[in-house]
Amino acid sequence: MSRTSRKSKVIPKAQPPQNAAIFAQDLNFTYNPKSPFAKHALADINLTVGKGEFVAIVGHTGSGKTTFVQHLNALIRVQSGNLFVLEQDLAAKKPDLKKLRQNVGMVFQYPEYQLFADTVLADVCFGLKNFGIDKEQRQTMAKDALELVGLEFDKIKDKSPFDLSGGEKRRVALAGVLAMKPQILVLDEPTAGLDPRGKSEVLSLVKKLNVEQGVTVIMVSHDMNEVYENANRVIVFRDGMIAYDASPRELFRLESEIESMNLEVPAMAAFCNELERNGVRIPDKCKTVDEVLAATLWQREARNV
Amino acid sequence: MFRDVTFGQYYLADSFVHKMDARVKLLLTLLFMVGIFFVKSFVVFGFVAVYLLTVILIARVPLRSVFKSIKGIIVLLVLTAVINILFTKGANDAEQPLWSWSPWNGFTIEIYANGLIKAGKLFLRLVMLVMGSSILTLTTTPVDLTHAVESLLKPLRIIRFPVHEFALIMSLTLSFIPSLIEETDRIIRAQKARGADFDTGGLVKRAKAFVPILIPLLVGGFRRAEELANAMNSRCYEGATKRTCMRVMKLSWRDFVAGFVAVAFFTGVFLLYGMAKKWGDITWLYY
Repeated sequence: MSRTSRKSKVIPKAQPPQNAAIFAQDLNFTYNPKSPFAKHALADINLTVGKGEFVAIVGHTGSGKTTFVQHLNALIRVQSGNLFVLEQDLAAKKPDLKKLRQNVGMVFQYPEYQLFADTVLADVCFGLKNFGIDKEQRQTMAKDALELVGLEFDKIKDKSPFDLSGGEKRRVALAGVLAMKPQILVLDEPTAGLDPRGKSEVLSLVKKLNVEQGVTVIMVSHDMNEVYENANRVIVFRDGMIAYDASPRELFRLESEIESMNLEVPAMAAFCNELERNGVRIPDKCKTVDEVLAATLWQREARNV
Repeated sequence: MFRDVTFGQYYLADSFVHKMDARVKLLLTLLFMVGIFFVKSFVVFGFVAVYLLTVILIARVPLRSVFKSIKGIIVLLVLTAVINILFTKGANDAEQPLWSWSPWNGFTIEIYANGLIKAGKLFLRLVMLVMGSSILTLTTTPVDLTHAVESLLKPLRIIRFPVHEFALIMSLTLSFIPSLIEETDRIIRAQKARGADFDTGGLVKRAKAFVPILIPLLVGGFRRAEELANAMNSRCYEGATKRTCMRVMKLSWRDFVAGFVAVAFFTGVFLLYGMAKKWGDITWLYY
């Protein structure tokens, strides 16, 4: 567990470590600089995310998490500090935005509100077209993406995106980003406003991409339960700084700190903490009810023998 | 991209003008706007400028934000000034052009002193017009302004003009603008993340690039409108029937003082205008 220091030092530009998907060094950002409304949104962010990690970013509204996440796609340009995303220097004067945005897929909150085309197919192809992929290849890539999100390509491709149900719309929007086969997937509250089934479908899809295809996932979320179950690493933003950077199990052991930041301790974490207080040791990788139960029973048996 | 568009430039301060009744402010602004068209000479423009500055000082709004409002009409200002300078002929046949240029036969550009004076006056008039009305919007919240409009239009009910509905439409429009700006911003970012490019290419390409923004925005607008209509219906909204207002507007001594001063000032302006008409040869009233 590390707490970043408030001190800002001038550090010569470092090269990103090998195999880093994201490397931020003393990243600072101020909204409306040099005006009475100036707001320091990011303060000295130092962070390395390795390829293939599943990182959850949590924090209060206004803690800087969305600002940070938008840096990854150069939707917000680096003001001061360094940022490398997939070996690309984003503090450079003219980074190759097309290449970057093709490799960093960004799913915004309520992505279904960005649908615009006449047909689902055209909408999913929008990104591909912008990145200059030819028509035939577009078709197959769109097909793959739509099937990946669990929609039947032939049934849905000619429908208007506005005639679909809420859950289907979101999946189409997701397909529109996934079609580009990004190496990094950034999601801003991907499950907001979905029913429990829709939530678990989206999450298992993201998890699958992470595990099977090695996609690096950065997920902003307010739902600590989904953070706990899915992420390998949780980064807590507070007042534009990284307050905690730890594995979910480590982080949610600090119940009082979590609650003092107005965050919620996930149900499973609270349960495990209670067990631990009663002398049961839960290995860090145990997250689901079954795993925890197995670990508990195993220990009980071991003690009884 | 659209972050910079600030709508409703209300400047929070505790001043005489802020505390005035919005209806009175609206009427006095109208008086000012009409009055400024009766100003014919630079001397009187000077009087109006002093009047305007005094109001700005009393209102405790920064001069900078008042001047900022001129930024929006710079193109108009320059265009009208140029047209006036180029196309105004002399006041009488005796006047010689200050400068003339004839690029080819039968076509001459002539600039007369008269044109410069006319352009200068028009410039001053437009600038003061915008500055004066910006004092209204700087010191009055959009909500108060709609209430004022509703209250002032009440007499039109006699001819069955739907005053309340009109005011409702106005206030709804105002309240939708910030959220639409926010939504536009979000859609732009989302499409940019999918590789959309709004900054390069020719006119047609750029215009086409806006389709992926406009359609979601339109769809979102309808969605919001429907949600709002449902919310109003579920609260049994019935329009103007026996509806009371949460904020009752009352006239105070301030309104009478301000009204008296403004009316007195503009009576003076109208008088000077009449005098200039009658005795056109009083030079300081004419130039």
